[in-house]
Amino acid sequence: MPRRRTLDPLTELLAAVLLVVLVLVVNRWEFSLGVLALVVLPAVLLSGKPRQIGVALAVVAGPLLISSLLLHGLFFPEGVSVLATLGPARVTWEGLTFATMMGLRMAVFTGVLLTAAMTLDIPQLLAAMTHRGWDRKLVFVIGSALGLIPHVALRAGQITRAQQSRGLVVGRSPLSRLRALLAVTTPLVIGLLTDASERTSMLEARGFSSSGARTSYLTDTDTTGQRATRWVMTGVVLVFSVVWLVVT
Amino acid sequence: MSSPLTLAPGPATQRPRRVLLALGGTLILATYLFLVVLQPAEIAGGVGSTASLVSLFGFLGGGALLVAGILPTLSTSSLVVMPLGIALNIAIGQIAGSLGMQIYLDAIGTVLVAVLAGPAAGAATGALSNAVWGLFNPFALPFAAGAALIGLLAGLAAKYGAFRRVYLAPVAGLVIGAIGGIVAAPVAVFMFGAAGTVGTNAIIAAFRSMGDVLLVAATKQGLLSDSLDKIVVFVLVALIVYALPQRAVRQFPFARNHRVLGARSAAVAPGPTPSGPVTATPPRGDAAPDA
Repeated sequence: MPRRRTLDPLTELLAAVLLVVLVLVVNRWEFSLGVLALVVLPAVLLSGKPRQIGVALAVVAGPLLISSLLLHGLFFPEGVSVLATLGPARVTWEGLTFATMMGLRMAVFTGVLLTAAMTLDIPQLLAAMTHRGWDRKLVFVIGSALGLIPHVALRAGQITRAQQSRGLVVGRSPLSRLRALLAVTTPLVIGLLTDASERTSMLEARGFSSSGARTSYLTDTDTTGQRATRWVMTGVVLVFSVVWLVVT
Repeated sequence: MSSPLTLAPGPATQRPRRVLLALGGTLILATYLFLVVLQPAEIAGGVGSTASLVSLFGFLGGGALLVAGILPTLSTSSLVVMPLGIALNIAIGQIAGSLGMQIYLDAIGTVLVAVLAGPAAGAATGALSNAVWGLFNPFALPFAAGAALIGLLAGLAAKYGAFRRVYLAPVAGLVIGAIGGIVAAPVAVFMFGAAGTVGTNAIIAAFRSMGDVLLVAATKQGLLSDSLDKIVVFVLVALIVYALPQRAVRQFPFARNHRVLGARSAAVAPGPTPSGPVTATPPRGDAAPDA
């Protein structure tokens, strides 16, 4: 069951970004681990879709963590204390430490931002951007792109199947793959551009390029309290960062 | 007197906000110079916090300033094609994965928009593409400035004729890919310790085993894989735009006015070949893309 939304999407996003900043500023593995265990984990579990977010986290961060461990664990020329030598590769203590530190940072970075993004209601976010008076062209491009992605993926799938039924076979050679990609992308782009040119005239007819004020059909979830909280949060993190970076 | 039902006439496009553009460009350049010239010493051993903060906010903030400066100047036809470019970047990246390709192909939409709508639209598409992608994959976020640079350079290359002949496109791709690789390397190193796919990391590992510093190894890897990736992307985009119906290309003032596709995009009066059956036959025999 999705949790009941009480906060403005911008407040949540800002909180996530500031948390990432804190993790980068403090730069201690204890703090990173603490954020991961005490903030990200409960947030994922309480989000209402822990499995979805868990899978997304594993798919996005998993390969990076593994390849980082292989890269720095095996090849770290700066490393002094060699634990094992495997041909050209040397397992060093420094390399493993570096890989762990970087891995922890990547895990927190993905964990915080992806959890915030996946619990976000996209229409709410776009409405919030409109209410805050963001450039409406920006709101249009972002909203329209988010809406187009599933459409493009679906259409690409359909075109791929149509071309396969007409005899498209993807071979092993790069040239064959390039030809397959071209056979799919060309009709895809032509179709999308045709749609776009129709959309241009429709938008123009509805006064898209005029500079008047816009009406949003969604209620504003922002409050004076949240606005104040956002400023305070930003100020506190900024001051803390400066102090921390100067002191340490 | 205008009816109350119509919107007040306003300026369709505003002047570019040069201050924002200059600030954004300066911020990106300063960030890059800070990372590469000063090369925070901490990267040799530990994981630097200043370097990662600077690379995240310098490149992300610079990209945001560029977008803020560019967006008000864009026409509706450019704005409408930008989401398409963003969606293509993300969706084709996935197709490339499912076909088992070894390169990313995540800039096709950016280059396509740059060729049709110009360098400004290309740069904004690149930056926004990574911002939108960040909602699904936060690792894309810090590379926004690099993607904007690819869009900007691709648009400039198109303006000066790189897409008028099919054999010029890979040359432009090679050069722009190399620049993109050099710019992206410090971000990858200082934010994520140069972690990437197993394929790209194998290249970095090879350079590391020869004793290179991580930044140097990642830059060499960027030069190799990004050039290859952009050569393929530029050739693909050239072949796609050659196959587009002329009507679709001519709706973009940039492609029309700068004769981006040579004779294909020239502003000819509707003559003997009206918008009839849309085929990819070029008007003259020059630079015909081989099927």
